[in-house]
Amino acid sequence: MTTNIRRSAITVAAVLLALAAGLFAFASSHSTSVAHGAGLKPALTGAGQNLFNGKRGGTLKVVDSEDFSHLDPGESYFSLDYEVMYSIQRPLFSYLPNNTTVAAPDLASAPAVITNGGKTVTVHIRPNVRFSPPVNRAVTSADVAYAIERGANPNVANPYFQPYFGSIVGAAKATGGPIAGIQTPNSTTIVFHLTQPTADLLVGALSLPLSAPVPKSYAAPLDAKKPTQYGTSAEVATGPYMLKSDATGKFLGIGYQPGKSATLVRNPNWNPTTDKRPAYLNEIDINIGGAAPVIGRQVLTGSHMVMNDTPDNTTVALAYQKYYNQLTAVPGAGDHYVSLNNSHGVFKNVNVRRAVWAALDRDAMVKVAGGQIVGQPGTHFITPGTDGFAQAGGYPGPQVPWNKSTAGNLAVAQTYMKAAGYPSGKYTGSQAIKVVGSNNGNAPKEAAILKSALTELGFKVNMALVDQSVMYEKYCGVVAAQIDACPEVGWIRDFADPQTVLYVPFYGPAIVPTNNSNWGQVNDSAINAAMQKATFTVGAGARAAAWANVDKMLVNQAVAVPWIFDNQPNIESADVRGISDLWNIGSWDYSYTSLK
Amino acid sequence: MTGYIVRRLLWGILLLAMVIAVTFIVYYLLPSTDPAVLRAGRNANPKIIQAIRNDLGLNRSIFVQFWSYLTGVVLHLNFGYSYYYNDPVGPLILDRLPATLSLTAGAAVLWVIVGIPVGIISAIKRRTFLDRAAMGTALVFVSAPVFWLGLISLYLFASDIGQFKVFPGAGSYVGLTVNPWKWFTALLLPWMVLSATSAAIYARLVRGSLLQVMGEDYIRTARAKGLPERTVILKHGMRSAVGPLVTVLGLDIASLLGGAILTESVFDIPGIGRLQIDAINHGDVTIIQGTVLVAAIFIIIANILVDIAYAFIDPRVRYE
Repeated sequence: MTTNIRRSAITVAAVLLALAAGLFAFASSHSTSVAHGAGLKPALTGAGQNLFNGKRGGTLKVVDSEDFSHLDPGESYFSLDYEVMYSIQRPLFSYLPNNTTVAAPDLASAPAVITNGGKTVTVHIRPNVRFSPPVNRAVTSADVAYAIERGANPNVANPYFQPYFGSIVGAAKATGGPIAGIQTPNSTTIVFHLTQPTADLLVGALSLPLSAPVPKSYAAPLDAKKPTQYGTSAEVATGPYMLKSDATGKFLGIGYQPGKSATLVRNPNWNPTTDKRPAYLNEIDINIGGAAPVIGRQVLTGSHMVMNDTPDNTTVALAYQKYYNQLTAVPGAGDHYVSLNNSHGVFKNVNVRRAVWAALDRDAMVKVAGGQIVGQPGTHFITPGTDGFAQAGGYPGPQVPWNKSTAGNLAVAQTYMKAAGYPSGKYTGSQAIKVVGSNNGNAPKEAAILKSALTELGFKVNMALVDQSVMYEKYCGVVAAQIDACPEVGWIRDFADPQTVLYVPFYGPAIVPTNNSNWGQVNDSAINAAMQKATFTVGAGARAAAWANVDKMLVNQAVAVPWIFDNQPNIESADVRGISDLWNIGSWDYSYTSLK
Repeated sequence: MTGYIVRRLLWGILLLAMVIAVTFIVYYLLPSTDPAVLRAGRNANPKIIQAIRNDLGLNRSIFVQFWSYLTGVVLHLNFGYSYYYNDPVGPLILDRLPATLSLTAGAAVLWVIVGIPVGIISAIKRRTFLDRAAMGTALVFVSAPVFWLGLISLYLFASDIGQFKVFPGAGSYVGLTVNPWKWFTALLLPWMVLSATSAAIYARLVRGSLLQVMGEDYIRTARAKGLPERTVILKHGMRSAVGPLVTVLGLDIASLLGGAILTESVFDIPGIGRLQIDAINHGDVTIIQGTVLVAAIFIIIANILVDIAYAFIDPRVRYE
């Protein structure tokens, strides 16, 4: 019996050993470790990419493990959605892929005209842009007006209507019908009348998909459904591409199968003389689903493919090491920071917050997030590529003592703990710190580094790791939950104006009981006043300076601890001439991308 | 027999009602994504969320919402509306069912035609090298997580990213009616991966059952009567040994029809399993409820069928 067991064990061991050896050999040929530190060749950033001179024709295959959230210009508010949205729709203004700060006229024929001290905006639109079938007719200013008005319809529920379009006269109480402050004196002119001098912000927001025209006669019956079926089952396009549709414009089940695929084809009514986009590709086939490590390898080793969403760290490492020219890591893709509860508990004390900032090893957090390819240590709040970033301190950030060392400095931290009333330099109170982090990806390791810093400062930490959506919805975004710190909250700008980075996460009156995005419940009267002043500042340069000043105040008050300026890694096949939208976290722009 | 089937069906319906209630309550009470937030998108302000909540009736009491859901399911086969996909749940599940059926049916055939013969051979060649090799390999496959096996098989044998380009890779699935040959070739590797664990379990199960049965008196009698060994094993031995196998087979197939989450995810097969995992990732409650309900229906039906099958397989079983 013993012999039999031994023989069985030997057989099993031999089989396992053979498998392990095979795997080791396989793994050795695909090492995934990422080297960190100085001397590493930086990844390509997409800067200086040639937008034109591509080859016309062909089909691009896009793989995308995640599905789109919304394909309706009135609802889409997600970088993945934007990749489709800006290929099939033309908002009044849009950014060239290379430009992160200045939106150029798109459907508009010229830059917006701001008058009346920043309270009136006039935009003229191109006369010969046409809707795709079955509408076919030319776009008018009334179509733009309807597109914006429907954003207030609860069936559409545009998420940024109130923050950016709420200052239009009559918009505050709009529910989808005509808005008094939007006038269309003729078919190519649209005028916005504002209650406050916030024209710059509105003009910036006119680069968002909400300003893309929507024909009322076609969309209104669909908008009457709860929720709207425009952009869900049918839609017409104005851009160079459209979702493959039948004769009625219906694309559901034809050009889009939820969770499975989407197909973009050329819009037969698109007139290239009215558009700056070259639209080289004939078709874009998007496959939705698949495990990120698998589809990432398919792209790197395959042909005519790009990956739409963020590749996993293993794939990024593989791309960096073996397919260097097929990887871009685009800066300006937002930031992440540790929110500290400014309104409750021990972090009400500014010196305690400064101590946490000083103690936190931000370099280590960036390292566990994926290293210098995926970001740089965060030093303040306005993100790279946004107006005001340089004035706020650029990459090094303000040189205040608690921000000087991104590797963490316990000695400096302890000086602030002493200033906060803890003579030993360590917390001696009884409060346990409630930390809620994400359990997705590398987030647990990042949270562990925060915990270590807090522990070094003498805090007892109760940490919970939950799914990221739960983290926001049930804990960090709920005021009554009174969470002390959330290590992985993050923000992405909506457009180049720095208000879109700072206002919602740090403006006191913007705090709401649930779904709150001011996670640290920052409500400082001086900061609020500075934000109000900056909001009503007119002119891009002046606004950049005003918001940079707000940023410095946020750093001075250590309202949160920024730890990474995110880069967005993107991968493509060797025979793809991918063009990254540097203004949209570097996502691939199908209207400029071509095949080699 | 008819009375028994009717009784089982009634119990099945009661069980389904309980499943609906439990999934509804679990996802209503426990942390998950608020459908109104899901509908509103990222960073929507509370006013919009409240407007959506009113619009969609999500602010009604849990009892009203449950009753509405229950009557929708029972009377209209309406499984609710997915606010992530912006689509009704029923058609979404129906759309995914063919892929899951294809995957499950092929894998089941494969694991039966591999697992049972291997089990029989192991039993009749007990303690030989063949037996040990078969059971050792079975142990490896039983222990190997299916997602790991899937990834490794893709890295080794997929035509796009594999070291040996043999089978179509992930994402190559097409419907049977679209292109039968592509459908077949795209499913070969997933079938092998999905069936590997089950084939191993079935081989061990058959071996164990058969060894036990082969020691019974009636087997000795059959041999004493001079019946060929082949007849003794396949006709007399296997008829008894196959009983537990039928139970497991029914439940296994039913579970997979409810969604082969890992295999579908790794091989990018747009079936119910992938629908489920996407729904879980996005907190899409109505899809989760719908797929759980579909899985429960399959399992209840499979249980009833297994019980009926027993009456035909095992002469000792009779239902009053």
